[in-house]
Parts: sequence; structure tokens; C-alpha cells
Amino acid sequence: MNLQVLESQFWSLCLQGLALGFIYVLISLGYTMVYGVLRLINFANSEVFMVGTFATVVAQVGILQNQTDAQPLNGFRLIYTLTFALVFSMLICGFLGILVELVAYRRLRALGAKPLGFLISAIATSIVLLETTRILTFSRPQTSPRLLDKWSFGEFAGANFRIDTVMVIISGIVIFFTLDRFVTKTRLGKAIRAVSMSEEISKLMGINLNRVVSLTFFIGGLTTGAAAFFYTTVYETTQFNVGFNLGLAAFTTAVLGGIGNLRGAFYGGLFLGVLEQFASAILGSQWKSVTVFTVLVLVLLLKPNGIFGEAVQQTRT
Amino acid sequence: MNKKIQRSLAVVSAATLLFGVSAVSSAGAAQKTVYLAFQAPLTGANALTGQDELTAARFALSEYNATNPSVKVELVIADDQGLAEVAAVVAPGIAANKKVIGLIGPAFSGATQASLPAYKATGLPMISMSATRVSLTDKKAPVNGFPIFKRVVANDKFQGPALARYAIKGVSSPSVYLVDDKTAYGKGLADYTKPSIVKDAKIAGSDSVPENTSDYTSVVAKVKASGANVVIYCGYAPDAAKFVKALRDGGYTGIFAAGDGVLKATFPNNAGNTAAEGARLTAADVPFEDVATAAQMVAYTKLTGISKPGTYVTSTYNATNIFLTCIKQGVTTRPGMQNCLTAGSFKGIAGDTIKFDRYGDIIGGAAVGAFTIKAGKIVYVAVA
Repeated sequence: MNLQVLESQFWSLCLQGLALGFIYVLISLGYTMVYGVLRLINFANSEVFMVGTFATVVAQVGILQNQTDAQPLNGFRLIYTLTFALVFSMLICGFLGILVELVAYRRLRALGAKPLGFLISAIATSIVLLETTRILTFSRPQTSPRLLDKWSFGEFAGANFRIDTVMVIISGIVIFFTLDRFVTKTRLGKAIRAVSMSEEISKLMGINLNRVVSLTFFIGGLTTGAAAFFYTTVYETTQFNVGFNLGLAAFTTAVLGGIGNLRGAFYGGLFLGVLEQFASAILGSQWKSVTVFTVLVLVLLLKPNGIFGEAVQQTRT
Repeated sequence: MNKKIQRSLAVVSAATLLFGVSAVSSAGAAQKTVYLAFQAPLTGANALTGQDELTAARFALSEYNATNPSVKVELVIADDQGLAEVAAVVAPGIAANKKVIGLIGPAFSGATQASLPAYKATGLPMISMSATRVSLTDKKAPVNGFPIFKRVVANDKFQGPALARYAIKGVSSPSVYLVDDKTAYGKGLADYTKPSIVKDAKIAGSDSVPENTSDYTSVVAKVKASGANVVIYCGYAPDAAKFVKALRDGGYTGIFAAGDGVLKATFPNNAGNTAAEGARLTAADVPFEDVATAAQMVAYTKLTGISKPGTYVTSTYNATNIFLTCIKQGVTTRPGMQNCLTAGSFKGIAGDTIKFDRYGDIIGGAAVGAFTIKAGKIVYVAVA
């Protein structure tokens, strides 16, 4: 056990944990939105994320023609490039979400399949996405150019407030609260919540079920696409199997906070991000997963619906 | 398509999966053709290694078949995903196929160990291009590869100390942080590197970060807190690229060193050229583009679509050519191949002489090369 690291690195670990946590939050929204509406787990979401990371690289390198060894950009061109890549990745993932729903869910829903059927079709879709990307990329990692120079706002109490870290945290907050407001305040958001409470009654109220389900997959894809953009901007690399670990972490996040619950995903993600950092630093990285899943089991033993499972029922999508 | 056809198609494809290996070989039995099997991870998380190696085997074979030899050689390709449990299922299929007279592979040590019983039982000679676990050629090990197993890479017993030596070379009061990736390869290499570090330097700390981790910031925090001036990473290139980038972004300015798993032409680029600059790498494998002729590189790129060959391409090319040399000498059976490999002396693409000892390692040990990264390119320095 290495407690010494806390002396100089405590706040640094907190900050990095939060940044990682926000990426988890954004991916886990893809799981939690779908679960909230369909009571089904979208196991293809991890590969939607993976496709988003490649979409970001394609936007930056293929479409906007930045070389992989390009110098960092600045001014308008930087903002334009980052915004374009973010929107591109979000849209690709959003539409991919709709496609996943069409292929893996819609017909099975119409036939009244058992949950196991959905599980297998989602896993199958995810394998198709994974292996297709692997073949297309020759199994090689793809690098994204460093377009955003990693300058720092300064170091406070040992924590380095680097631009990318700060950007992920602020954007994560903005995206989360925009989604939260959308779901709670808008007409479409209310339709999503209505379906999540009762499919039958929503239908009787004139809500188009298929449209709401597609919308949910689209929104889940949008947040996952945003996560993919931030991931690629911070770590500047991606690979066909990048979705597995991050997807698992995001899924854990959703369960930890209470799957189907937006705010649960938010706190769950931040908690997991920080917990991972401290577990790795104090116990060693080899104990990270053991710690995370021990905590998960303990939480589920005490609160089977996750930390916020029932407490904030109103925000359930 | 009616249901009956669909069903029979499903049965046929299932049968192909089960008996695919033998089906391939019997189809070509009428021609004068012998088969070499190739076993490596071709799908899954470690697909990159296997796919790179497969390009080399295919390339060596294309060169051979282009000479219109009297005996044609074809590949039987098996995917073990680099996993012991998959290899244990795949190996009996290849072993049972009597038309296969030699095996290029397996690529990974764990998969090799799991495959050995099947190959030993049927006397199939094998040359691994990248299984570096020491026990595979250790006469005292409970499961070694004697007599059929050979390999054309240095085992970790040689590479570990060489890596430690090279990493701390010229560093005043070296203090080393040792990180592995928890894989059989990474952990094994770290275990053989550690004693040499203890002997010649100070260990500032160590960590085992699982393969495919995205975020290395907690390790960087520990490295900084420990005051280490040398970081040795035992793992593979994609992770090393993320790690070295996180180290440099986190303000670490010391040495970064790593083993053969990282020596990939794509590593500097993936790490962002500045982060990887000056990294010290060792390998029993020389980058293919450094030893191949220009014409060979053109032909290789034309055949595979890859212009920057990956790790173990040279060793796979050598392993394949050793088999081909024996076949050229008229070998068409497994016992014949076994005799040829045991007694023969072969030439590597770099002009080196390859002769195997009783337990399957290259006599004199395959040399461990020292490399560094200069201006975004891997540059050979010397023997480490």
C-alpha cells in the first residue's frame, strides 16, 4: 500500500478522477437512457462509443485534413475544428444508435421476444461493429493529432488544471444538465419519461412508441458520441477494442448510480472515476478492478437498485 | 432461401468450422503440395500481433512460390486469439491434419503452452516467432516444448537483463519505476528485468496496469511522487504509447524504456512523436524494413497493403523461411522436418546464422538489439 502518494498527489488524483468520471458519465447515459425506456441493456453502446472515437479521428484527419503530426491549432480554426469533430462524432453515434435499435431491437420488440433475445442481438451487433472496425483499421491503433495544445491554467495544490481536463469537466456538466432539462422539461422529454413509466398507457395517450424509442437511442448515441470526442481529445488515440473497458466502466457507473436514473449515472460516474484513481494509486493498478467491483457488490447488497435507484424517481427517464 | 437450404448451409458452415483445417488440406492433395500451419491471434484484443505476423508468413510464402518450386507450399491458418483456452481447442485440429508438416507459431507463450500436448503427441515440429516465456525451452520445466518446439526470438531470460542494462545506461544514480501490463508476457519480462535493476540501480516503485487501460494518470502521479528518473514498461505498443504520452504530459522528463512488445514502427507515431522521442527499446526482433531490401519492401507492401511492418515480422519471416529451406531440401514429412530443424543451419534475413540447441533456442541466444527513437523513427543503436 502506497499512502505516500497522497501527500503530493491527492488533489491531482481527484481532478483526474473527475475528468475520467465525466467520460464515464457521458457513456453511461447511453446505457441508462435505453434501460430507462425499454428496461433492456444496450450492450452495443460500448461499440457505438468506439465508432465515435474513430469518427472524431475521421473528422479531424480525413475531413478537415489535419495531418497526424500537425502542429496544435489556435484561435478560430481550433474552435471550429473541435466543434466540428464534436458534432460529427455525436451525430454519427446518434444515428448509429438509431440503426442499432432498428437492427437489434425493433423487430424483436414487435415479436414480443424475451429479454435474452435482445441481449444476444445487442451483443451480436456489437461484435459486428467491433470486428468490422478491426478489419478496416488492420487492427492498428489510430492516432488523433494533437490539435489542442495541452497548456495549463496552473497548478493548484499539486493538481494540474490542464486545458483538456478542464474542458472535459465543464463540457460534461453542460451536456449533462442540458440532457437533464430536456428530459424533465420538454414535451419530447416528457414523452420519454411517460414511456419509461408505462408503455401501454403512453400508447393510449397517443405517444408514438417507436419514435420515442428511436429518440432515446439517438440521445444515448449523442452523449456517447460526445464522450468519444472527449476521450479522443484527451488520450489522442483509439483502437478497435477501446470500447470494451470503457463500456464496462460506464455500465458499472450506470448500475452503481441506479440504472435508468440520469442523476444516478452522473454521481455514479464521478464516484467511479475518483475511486479508480485512488485505488490505482494506493493499492496498485492491478487492484483497481478488484476495488471497483467489490464496492459495486457492496453497494448492490445494501441498495439493490443502486445508490440513487429509488431516491430520485422523478428524474427517471 | 427456403428453410431447408438455410439449415443445411448452417450445418455445412458448422462442419467447416469444426473440420476446416483438414478440409482445406485434402482439397489440395492431388497437387504436389505440402502445408505449413500458422497459429496466432487473428481476432480479438491481440489480433494486431497475429495479423502482423501473418503478413510475414504470407510474404515469405509468396516469394517461395514465385520461384516455381517442385513442391508447392500452402498455409493452413488457425486463430487462437492469443488465449490458452482457445489454443487448447484449436491445436488438436491442426495436429490431427497429417498433411501439415510444420507449424509457424504459436505467437503467444500461454497459447503455446496450451497447444504443446497436442503437437507433442503427433510430433508436429513448430517454430515460434514470438513466444518468449523461458519455461518453453527450459529442460527443468514441467511442460517444456522438447523435442518439437523451436523459437527464433530470444527468451525473456536474456531480454530482461538487457533491457535493465540499456534503460539505466549513462543515467547517474538511476532510480527505476517498473510497470508491467499484467499479461503473461509483460509480467514475465518484468520478473526477469527486476533482479538486474536491483543489482545496478534502485527500485523506486512498481505497478501492474492491466492491458488496454486508457487512463494512466494515477501511475504518472505515483512515478512523480516516487522521484524515479527511469521508467521501464513491460507490455505492448498501444498501451506504451498511451503511457509515455501521459508521462510526458504529466511533466515526467526521465528515461522511458520498454521491451520488444513496444518495438513497433507505429509506436512513435501513436505516442505523438515528441513523447516517444529518446525512448529506449530492446527486442530480439529487428524491424523488417531495416533488414529487407527495397525491392522486398515494395513487394511486401504490395502484397499486404502495409507500409510499416509491425513487430515480429522479421522473426516470422525467418521462421517461415527455415521451414521452406527444409522443404526445398526435399522434406515432405513431419519426422523429416524434425530432423532437418534439429540438425540444420539456417540463414536469417539479416545474414545471421540460425542453429537450434537441443531445447529449441537459437545457439548463442538470439541477440537482443537496443533501439531508440530519433525524429519519430526507430533507430537501431547496438546490441544491448
